Parts: sequence; structure tokens; C-alpha cells
Amino acid sequence: MNKTLLKSLLALIGLAFLLVIPRFVDSPYALHMMILLFLSVMMGQSWNILGGYAGQHSVGHAAYFGVGAYTTMMLMHTKQIAPWIGVWAGMALVIVVALAIGSICFRLRGPYFVLASIAVAEILRLSAINLTTLTNGAEGILATELPAFKIGGTVVTDFLTKVPFYYIGLFLVLLTIVVTYLVQHSKLGYFFQAIREDQDAAHSLGISISLYKNIALVISAVLTSLAGSFYGIYVGFVDPPTVLGLDVSVQIMLICIIGGMGTIWGPVLGSLILVPLSEALRSNMITEALVKVGLVSADSRVGLFLKENLSHAHVLLYGILVVLVILFMPDGLMGFVNKLMRRKREAV
Amino acid sequence: MAILEIKQVSKFFGGLAANSDVSFSVEEGTIMGLIGPNGAGKTTLFNCITGYYPPSKGEITFDGRRMNGLDPDKVCMLGMVRTWQKVRPLAKLSVVDNVMVGALARTSSLKVAREMAMEQLKVVRLDHRPDFIAGGLPIGERKRLEVARALATQPKLLLLDEVMGGLNPAESDEIIQLILDIKARGLTQMVIEHDMKAIMRISDRIVVLNSGEKLTEGSPQEVVSNPEVISAYLGEAHA
Repeated sequence: MNKTLLKSLLALIGLAFLLVIPRFVDSPYALHMMILLFLSVMMGQSWNILGGYAGQHSVGHAAYFGVGAYTTMMLMHTKQIAPWIGVWAGMALVIVVALAIGSICFRLRGPYFVLASIAVAEILRLSAINLTTLTNGAEGILATELPAFKIGGTVVTDFLTKVPFYYIGLFLVLLTIVVTYLVQHSKLGYFFQAIREDQDAAHSLGISISLYKNIALVISAVLTSLAGSFYGIYVGFVDPPTVLGLDVSVQIMLICIIGGMGTIWGPVLGSLILVPLSEALRSNMITEALVKVGLVSADSRVGLFLKENLSHAHVLLYGILVVLVILFMPDGLMGFVNKLMRRKREAV
Repeated sequence: MAILEIKQVSKFFGGLAANSDVSFSVEEGTIMGLIGPNGAGKTTLFNCITGYYPPSKGEITFDGRRMNGLDPDKVCMLGMVRTWQKVRPLAKLSVVDNVMVGALARTSSLKVAREMAMEQLKVVRLDHRPDFIAGGLPIGERKRLEVARALATQPKLLLLDEVMGGLNPAESDEIIQLILDIKARGLTQMVIEHDMKAIMRISDRIVVLNSGEKLTEGSPQEVVSNPEVISAYLGEAHA
């Protein structure tokens, strides 16, 4: 009992800390980083429900991310529908898309399911490029002017700073974590994990495989579409490669694989590693740091080489990271931590 | 009263008849043994009965209901549950969570499911370490875990597929005692087993399959003294 009390206390302190950050930090860059972090946790946590708990390793989650982002942005751009209304349309549409995809892909198991999920997402990406009247094709949709959010005539926020996005992001992260917690602590969580561990055994225990796989998919897809919509309105721009591309799907999955699939804190941990890492690489912070420490001189051949290439190397480093995690921590960082704690407990 | 009736069930895989024209019925509250040499079609018959394969021909009636073509989950909900020859624990889940998955077929409350699961773990004598991860159990305990998980779905008919396979004599004896305990609670069972001594001890009736066909059926004594059975197992010379 004391332990759960301590845990909830820690969670509350963490939450309070996150709530007051914008009061003390006004650097837009720092807030931007936090928002990227929230987005990443959201995406990872959404995938986690289908991939981590139900064991269906979709590599096509860009489909749901993109449908959410595009629906919200298209409605805002062409029909001037506010995003907080458009987001519902995105979620409704994504349920239809998810069930259509589920009815096709869930006939397949293992690697065949993975391939089918990639194929469906690619179909959507190519459609977005070619249906130019609807989606504006490869040019994408630019819509940066957000209407002010009003409740009963008073303006709550006009979205001129990053602060409102920070709070929306935080709210959505909490939402995905709460949903995951509720799933884990219910019949659904047990059935999802049974399907993950052994589909045939689960089937013999009265679990309708297609029903529960589709439930997992719909929950996962709706949350992913929410993340997509949030991305769209935050960045103000969507085009096929950035929201429907294969690397979006891979990114979503990596957050979980590195952090730990089928655990609540896995996607959080994965995001805490991947987001700063990719940012550090992109902005060439690592080269600068190496120069500053004096390991490499800026004008030397090595220094120039790193400066030239390291910012493009984030995909390579991701790859190396994934290989290392799979080799040495097959259950992700969270699984590794849990194993250490169990070992410690057993030693006592 | 017969709880399970199998009428002229055949299962073809291409040109191969894994089961052909098998008929028998299982009386409520009894233990039916299903024996036969390797490849006789015992597990295929289990798969047909529990919905993993649709039978190519014939009728399967359980509790007065035609079962042909029902999915395994529906079969379980109607009260028929199986275990697996090669055990299938939910490896990353704890012992009690494994059994709870079975119990959740009958309740939506985790609390009730946990109580039901602990009860069944007591029946199979696995209640001493409910939080142990199932994948790490030794084979004997994994077999008993499967039985507990199946029992937690509250079946009317339990189908055990070689639940003693790979066990040492002491572990086998424990399982025999367990099967008799389960019978004493009034549950009907159908048991595939290779260990002849064990099957003789527990079965009320035995069906012998050979190359997909029913060779004979009868009480354990009738079956062992049947020359056809002896020749199917040991060859003509011994019959």
C-alpha cells in the first residue's frame, strides 16, 4: 500500500512540475522540444496498445497518423472548420479506415501482417500524392492561421505562442497514458496479451481473435490520429512524406521497441532517448560538443567530416541503437529495468 | 446422457484421410480415453471437435447443439475446452494471470477472475507461486498450469491432449490423481494418452483409432484384450 502511495505521489509531483514549466521557461525552443517529446510519447503509446500489448507489429501506423493530420488540416483549410472540431472527424474517419485495414490485414499473421500493414499505408501515401483536388498532392496543405479558441465569448487562447500547444500536448499525453493504464488493468489488457503470447491458446480460451485484434487496432488508431491532428495544427503544414511516409511508421514503432513494448513507461523512456538524440544530431550538437571538449578540432579533417555528415546520420544511429537494444535488451529499456529490479528483489 | 456425440466424422487433408467415419459418444460425468498409434488421427479429431478444423463430413453434437463450423472461442464459451499436446503457456504472463485469462471468459471483473484463478491453481497444486512468470516453469508445472487455465473457463467437457507426455513417473502419477479429482467433481473428460497404464486406470471407456479410423471401442479390459488393438500397436505376430 505504501508503495502505491509513493508512486502516485511521485506521479503527482512530476505532473505538477510539467504543469508549471511554461511559467518559468519562456524559451520557445525549450517548449518546442517538450512539445516534440509529448508528440513522440503519444505516438509511441498509441502504437503500444496494438503492437506492445496485442502483439500485432504494425509498420503502417503512418496511415492513421496521416488520416488524422490530413482530415483536420483539410477541414480547416478548405471549410474553415476549427481543428478542435475537425479532430473528431479525423477520429471518426480513422475508425472506418482502421476497420477496413483490420478486416484485410488480420487474416495474416506475423511477418505477413507486417508487410500488409506497410502496403496499406503506402497506398494511402500514394493516394494523398495523386488525389490532388482533395489533398493538394505533393505540395501539401499549409494552414498556419488557427482561429482563437473561445468558450462562451471569452478567448481562452489565440495560439500565438507555444504555451497552448504545450498544454494540449501534455493533456494528450496524459490521455494516452490513462487509456493504456485502463486497458492494461482490464479484461481487454489480459485478452490482448494472451493473443500476443499465443494466438491459438487464446482462441481456445474463449477469446474471439478477430474481435479483440480489431478493438486493439481501433483504440490504437484513434489515439494515433489524435497525435496526427495535433502534429498538423502545431506545425501548420502536412504533406504526404512527413505524415504518411514509411519513416513515420518506423519512427512510431522504434519509440516502443527501444523503450519497451507492452509497458506503460516504455514509450516515455523511448521518447526521452530518441527525441533529444535526433535533435542533437540534426542541429549538429554532437560535433559542436566534441569540438568544445577538445576531442576534435573544428578545422581538422575529422571535424569537417563530422560537421558535414553527422547531421544526416540520425537514421544510421537509429539503426545502430535498434540493433544494440535488440541484442542486449530484447524487451526494451523498460524490460531491462524491470529485469534488474526483479533480480534485485530475488536476491534480497 | 451423452454430452458429446460424434457421428461419422471425416477430415481430409487433400487426398489424405486423417479421420474417416469416426463415430462415438461420451457420457456425462465419465472419462473417455482416446488412444492409437502415432498418426492415428487423435489430435486431428480434437481439432475438429474444438473448432480448429471444420470436419469435412459428419456431425459433432455437444450438449444438444450442432458444433460443426463453430470457432474455437465459441466452442469454449459453450463449455468445451482443450489443452495442448505441446504446452502453450502465455510465457511472459505470471502463473495467476495465465489462469485469469481463462476465468475472464466467464466474468469481466479482474477481482472475481483472480479469485477464480486462485481456486483452480489450488486444484492443480500450483498456488504456491502465483506471481512466477509462466515461461520459467518446469514442464510438469506447465502442464498443470494448462489444466488450471482450461478449468478456469468453467467447462462441461475437458479435452486433455497428452497431458502426461514428457513427464516422469512421479509427475504422471500427480496428473492421474488430478484427473480423478476433476472427475470426482462431476466434470466430463476426454483424454488422449500414450501411457497405457495411465489410460487404463483413469478411463471408463476407450476409443481406439488407427490410421484415421475407429478400430474399436469398449471398457479398458475389452480394449486391451482385443487382438486387433494388439496388432495395431505391436504388429500381427503378437496378436
